[in-house]
Amino acid sequence: MIELYAITDNPGPPLPELAPELRLVPFDGLAAVCTPASKAEVSPQTLWHHEEVVEALMADRDLLPVRYGTRLDDEAEVARAMEGRSEELAAALDRVRGAVELSVRVMAAAATPSPPDPVATTSGAEYLRLRAQAEASREDAAGALHEPLAALARESAQGRPRPPELFRAAYLVERGAVDSFVAEVGRLQGESPGLAVLCTGPWPPYSFADR
Amino acid sequence: MSTTIAEREVALVDLVDRLLGGGVVVAGDITLAVADVDLVYVQLRALISSVATAQDKGLLPRMGDAL
Repeated sequence: MIELYAITDNPGPPLPELAPELRLVPFDGLAAVCTPASKAEVSPQTLWHHEEVVEALMADRDLLPVRYGTRLDDEAEVARAMEGRSEELAAALDRVRGAVELSVRVMAAAATPSPPDPVATTSGAEYLRLRAQAEASREDAAGALHEPLAALARESAQGRPRPPELFRAAYLVERGAVDSFVAEVGRLQGESPGLAVLCTGPWPPYSFADR
Repeated sequence: MSTTIAEREVALVDLVDRLLGGGVVVAGDITLAVADVDLVYVQLRALISSVATAQDKGLLPRMGDAL
């Protein structure tokens, strides 16, 4: 079995030496980067290792990351799986060319104005109303971070927040604009003491290669 | 919880979401179905939390860059 990591242009720069058994399966001006499939169970280590390989590839080429855990029998099967997809994949690669992905998730800061004091409110219904209001205003504040960040990105994709998140989105940012994006995150965080803005990356463009 | 563990946990959440929920889908065996993603996410979180807790209690040596 072999495992897929990414789709890239072919020819491209030499493969990094980080993972010794990396090889290319070429098809129609593109190539799939593969290794022999590992037998390890999924763990944080196997995920980080996979990511490390994709990031090493990303350092000097544009790529479409492949969904983790994609395995095929052999190179012939990889070539078959790519049959008829080269046009679509080349367009997808052009979409992310020169850019990387940044993740932004927003939560309430640990010490934030908390739910209203139940003793001070007049009724249970009033308490629930105030609590819902406080939550809605935090969500609005989190959502308001999106526009200035999206303005610095080529594309953005908002996701469904997982509680206790208030907001989550991925931004496709030009490689050269990553520093200004991160600086803007810092500025927005400074303006929003009630929120914790978690920004990670640069990631391979996973959220913009989903097809 | 140390800052380092907290930062790793933040990054791990983003990592899991991306590797298991994003990327080009190619016909073939996917080792994890989309339906498994939430489960893996929960398992990994539990794992990280228990590692962090064990470290707080001095039960484990500090992890290197393994995570």
